[in-house]
Amino acid sequence: MTLPVCCGSRREMLRSVSAGFGSLALAGLMAGSLPAGAAADQPLAPKPTHFPPRARRVIFLCMQGGPSHVDTFDYKPKLIEDAGRSIRPGNARLMAPRWEFKQRGQSGLWISDLFPEVAAHADKLCLLRSMHCDQPVHPQAMTQMHTGSAQFVRPSLGAWTLYGLGTENDSLPGFVALNPPAAAAQNFGSAFLPAIYQGSRVGAAQRGPAMARPAAAQGQSVPDIRNPRLSQDLQRRQIDFIQTLNRQKLKREQSQPGVEGVIESFELAFRMQDALPSLMDLSGETDSTLELYGINGGRTAAFGRQCLLARRFVEAGVRFVELNHGNWDHHFRLEADLAARSEEVDRPIAGLLADLDQRGLLKDTLVMWGGEFGRTPDAQGGDGRDHNNRGYTMWMAGGGVRGGFSYGATDDYGGVAVENKCHIHDWHATILHLLGLDHTRLTYRYAGRDFRLTDVYGNVVQEIIS
Amino acid sequence: MFDFRRFMMHTGVIALCFSLAGVGLFADEEAASANPEGIQFFEAKIRPVLMEHCARCHSTDGGQGVRGGLSISSREALRVGGESGPAVVPGDLSQSLLWDAINHEGLRMPPSGKLPPETINDFRRWIELGAPDPRVPTEAVVQSRVTPEAIAAGRHFWAFQPPQMPALPEGSGWSESAIDRLLESQFAAEGLTPAVDASPTVLLRRLHFVLTGLPPAPGESDAFTAAWSRDPRRALESTVDRLLALPQFGERWGRHWLDAARYAESTGKEIDVSFPNAWRYRDYVIDAFNADKPYDIFIREQLAGDLLPAPTDEQWAEQLIATGFLALGPRSLIEQNSRQFQADLVDEQIDVTTRVFLGVSVACARCHDHKFDPIPQSDYYALAGIFQSTETCFGGVRSQRNRQPSKLIVLPIDDPNPSDQSMTREELAELRRQRDEVQQEAIEARRALARPQPGGTPPQTRLANQFLLDQRATQLTTRINSVDEQGRPLTVCMGVQDKAKPQNARLLIRGEIDQPAQEVPRGFVQVLSSANAVLPANSSGRLELADWIASPEHPTTARVMVNRIWLHLLGEALVRETDNFGASGPQPSNQALLDYLAVRFVDSGWSVKSLIREIVLSRVFRLSSEFDQKRFERDPENQYFARANVRRMEAEVIRDGMLAASGRLDPERPRGSIMARFSSSIIGPDGPVGMVMTPGTAGMTAAQTPGRPGVLDRFSRPGRPAMDGAGPMLPSRLQSRLNGGGGSIFEASVLYRSIYLPVPRNSVPRSLDVFDFAEPSMVIGQRETSNTPAQALYMLNSAFVIEQSDAMAERLQREQKQRRDQVELAFELVFSRLPESEELEASLRFLEDAERSVKPAAALSAFCQALFASAEFRYVN
Repeated sequence: MTLPVCCGSRREMLRSVSAGFGSLALAGLMAGSLPAGAAADQPLAPKPTHFPPRARRVIFLCMQGGPSHVDTFDYKPKLIEDAGRSIRPGNARLMAPRWEFKQRGQSGLWISDLFPEVAAHADKLCLLRSMHCDQPVHPQAMTQMHTGSAQFVRPSLGAWTLYGLGTENDSLPGFVALNPPAAAAQNFGSAFLPAIYQGSRVGAAQRGPAMARPAAAQGQSVPDIRNPRLSQDLQRRQIDFIQTLNRQKLKREQSQPGVEGVIESFELAFRMQDALPSLMDLSGETDSTLELYGINGGRTAAFGRQCLLARRFVEAGVRFVELNHGNWDHHFRLEADLAARSEEVDRPIAGLLADLDQRGLLKDTLVMWGGEFGRTPDAQGGDGRDHNNRGYTMWMAGGGVRGGFSYGATDDYGGVAVENKCHIHDWHATILHLLGLDHTRLTYRYAGRDFRLTDVYGNVVQEIIS
Repeated sequence: MFDFRRFMMHTGVIALCFSLAGVGLFADEEAASANPEGIQFFEAKIRPVLMEHCARCHSTDGGQGVRGGLSISSREALRVGGESGPAVVPGDLSQSLLWDAINHEGLRMPPSGKLPPETINDFRRWIELGAPDPRVPTEAVVQSRVTPEAIAAGRHFWAFQPPQMPALPEGSGWSESAIDRLLESQFAAEGLTPAVDASPTVLLRRLHFVLTGLPPAPGESDAFTAAWSRDPRRALESTVDRLLALPQFGERWGRHWLDAARYAESTGKEIDVSFPNAWRYRDYVIDAFNADKPYDIFIREQLAGDLLPAPTDEQWAEQLIATGFLALGPRSLIEQNSRQFQADLVDEQIDVTTRVFLGVSVACARCHDHKFDPIPQSDYYALAGIFQSTETCFGGVRSQRNRQPSKLIVLPIDDPNPSDQSMTREELAELRRQRDEVQQEAIEARRALARPQPGGTPPQTRLANQFLLDQRATQLTTRINSVDEQGRPLTVCMGVQDKAKPQNARLLIRGEIDQPAQEVPRGFVQVLSSANAVLPANSSGRLELADWIASPEHPTTARVMVNRIWLHLLGEALVRETDNFGASGPQPSNQALLDYLAVRFVDSGWSVKSLIREIVLSRVFRLSSEFDQKRFERDPENQYFARANVRRMEAEVIRDGMLAASGRLDPERPRGSIMARFSSSIIGPDGPVGMVMTPGTAGMTAAQTPGRPGVLDRFSRPGRPAMDGAGPMLPSRLQSRLNGGGGSIFEASVLYRSIYLPVPRNSVPRSLDVFDFAEPSMVIGQRETSNTPAQALYMLNSAFVIEQSDAMAERLQREQKQRRDQVELAFELVFSRLPESEELEASLRFLEDAERSVKPAAALSAFCQALFASAEFRYVN
């Protein structure tokens, strides 16, 4: 391997100095597989894309548990017609959606009454009605949705995004996971990518799997974001003293790749101490904004707060924000519980779409909604539906996708994706494409192999791009 | 759904693991010879029932996975059965679980309700008829694209030829050793001149960190410099020998091994369940490095310690513990299909064994021929047969979330987990009663969940209750299993055992368990073998595999290890991808040197310490890291080692260094691990979920509520009183200010070396996680080094760092009265050197400044913290 040798500045030197990630990133660079500028010294600096991007940032509204698509976004008249029949041997009886579907907006997309407020934005939505994945159980499907692989520990979608694009705010983390479930570290992890690309968890990590914690526990904290003792002024003096020591070291030794990194990390940390808590302080938001997101009380308050935070994060330049909302696993009590879950998120999501739109952010912010799978058209125990990974709906909005559009289809009852099937790998490929990244070229070399988010799979769904 | 008889069988701890039903092979003649009426009966009476009532949950077409690992889709699948055993044993109703299940004996199938009596009678007749079933998959044969010629040619690749002692070039006056001469000849070829030697102070700090991971004590630097000026060689040799003999050496080098061996103390993946006995393997590794256990024996013990002769019980126990290497990988316990689970487990064992010891990645060949190396898919299944004939014992208790428990191995010594206490028979009986009760409650809670309860307890609460009951039952069972019938604690470990009957694996098309092709004889990786392996028919072949890997003739084994050692001594490896010596990996920057080291290593009797000693006594180890423009331009990546690499220290070194400087480091090994207390518990970021604590022998207390993690104190060690809260515990005021940041329960109160911190895969303690700890689910040969704001926040604001800064400030005040002397001592403690004049001035200025707003002690603490936070503390030149 030949290296561009140039010692005009320390920064250029850093690119050539081998230091774990440095040499690997450089190897990738040489192979043309990395966006230019992904240098070891500034792994978070904004990087050029492979082609002009349609979306610059992502908000992923992750509904854990597998929301029912046949009750929400996948209209199946035949399911209503044939309710009570059993379509396949061994399957229970078909259960009609309990909520009425209506055509919405100019586009006439069919959306049920569970999402009246989101439905008002139908012309912004692009429904992916032919999603499927390989995993029928929650944690594995969740992991596949986030990393492409349920079997191996792989970097998450957010980490790949940050690795590919860098971030635009040097006072904030580039990948934020709001209210993440515990025991799901790998869904926000960087695996073999450098640790700097992993998601920063914001919000109290909750103990145990979803089962073991209350539905709407909301906390918002970042580890070690406040000094328990020193005033801000004294801490600044302390950091100045640390930087004096660091600069002395630099002066003595001329070339110290890591030392510049340390200096920058303290400055960023100091800025983050200020920026993060104030960014998360919603007290300055107007009543009408709070109302828009449903934060003024009731069942929508918790998720509304998350949605508003997400808007504030992306507005401030955070590249990838993931929001989590749990308890969509309706094996029983579907009628009551699905209605309750939908109510909790409907207004907040509608508020987010409206707010992003009015701020001119929606055009290049990709908003994605969905769970790890959908549910069966046939009933489970009278008032429930079982897991269904073979056909379900997710949707996208903004960020260069066709609004008021529906892509792909499941069979007559919503059981299996049959038309223009979109595997979770295709979903990943499409997201990266919208961000200006070619999923076959966004690679990282580990253990002698160039790894991709999509492994050896993935087709970009061109039809949904506006 | 519960079958308590089988439940116990699976969860009981047994001394010798016995064989599970392996993948059976059925002669095709059986189908041909079957009575046509039998087949007709199957088609008319059995197949439709299977499809209607079973297929949904027990076939890959049903959309519900293959629950319980049982597929009803083929004759073979029915006979292999699921995790509880064979579903159908032809002609034998009493052995056919399917028969039990449809009669609702133990299992209850179908869950919706019993089949009509006439249908059940049909099944009786069918099984008694010999269960005729024409559904035999046509046997596929996968032809490899990798020809024998390609494999033979592949053996010419540099790494696949055994290393030979290279001719040693003449050296100039610079060279002091063979290593130096091999490097020097390359310097000349590359137009490089070696850097000057590092100063004795720098050298001593480097030696200490590299060999023990701890800084020199104050005064040692002066003593070394003085000795150096008298006789450099002697000063160096005596220091190296002293450091190599310290127990801290094994703690430092054992950790490097644990990185590669993906050591952790929980399953990771979706449900992170603790491995309460993993620490025995950790201690085994540390002890092996300290005892300079020959590396070939180290390999054999980890792969086949259970099969090696052992003259004493102690040695047998040690060897059994060593096999924990194969058992402590990440596991997906929620996997319902036990065949998939086993296939993934074997895959992980193949991956870790081939990458850690051989530096080749064979696991790529699970689904297809290796893309870069001449490794056909059949080589993978040759190894898979060895591991499939091995039972892996990693523990756990069956519960709703843990669908794949296994056994543990009872050791022939009396050395139970320190947290496992004895109990009377009455207490044991009482625990069993409680457990049965809780299990019953859990089942009822589960049933109640499905019933609508208008106005009753909210479903989330009921779900949480039911989850906690399940956890509680798990913990009670764990406690019951931790003792023998007399209530005496058992000494158990993770590890492997041979199954009673070894079986070859079948190649799986695209690695899919439902797509078996031809049987592959057990064997090794062909391109790495000079002859075909001949494995015994009556054992797994694991011992032969270990012997083959640990043989002096093996082309990669010694090279891979000396490359790891070189990396940890010099900061970069000779082959830059430590776990990939294959065709897709980089070439060695100096093959002659690599081969020299490999041959020396084998010739020394695989002595790690001898090799380390030879390398650190070479001149190359003493080079300065000073920057030189010309040298840099010639070799920007420092492939040729004409200068020293500057190294960011690992997370453990940073934490241990703070404890050493504050004077509070507890140098002794704690017994066991914090994780040993969390038997079979699901681990969240704040500790175990719904943990049952065990105060004394009085029995069990109630399950704790979520949000209130269990109390943690130092775990006890024989002959040493457990510490109380006054000394080493963090003051509660600081504890209460721990602002967020999971993982605090795993480390806040302990002062021993970081290698003894618990390693739950999904909740690595923050002090380790923040500084690029080795991802514990992966083979990590070389850690990342990142500079992140999270690290800065940790150094600036975390309770642990503030606490150590306070302690160090107290120490400074205790040992020195004058401010200037205190600053000098601080520099010596943290950087092993005295401050330069600008630094001294800046320090005094900062202190003076700080004292305007805070008390002198607090100012001094903020000063100490700044030294910890500075770059110099993390870097070794």
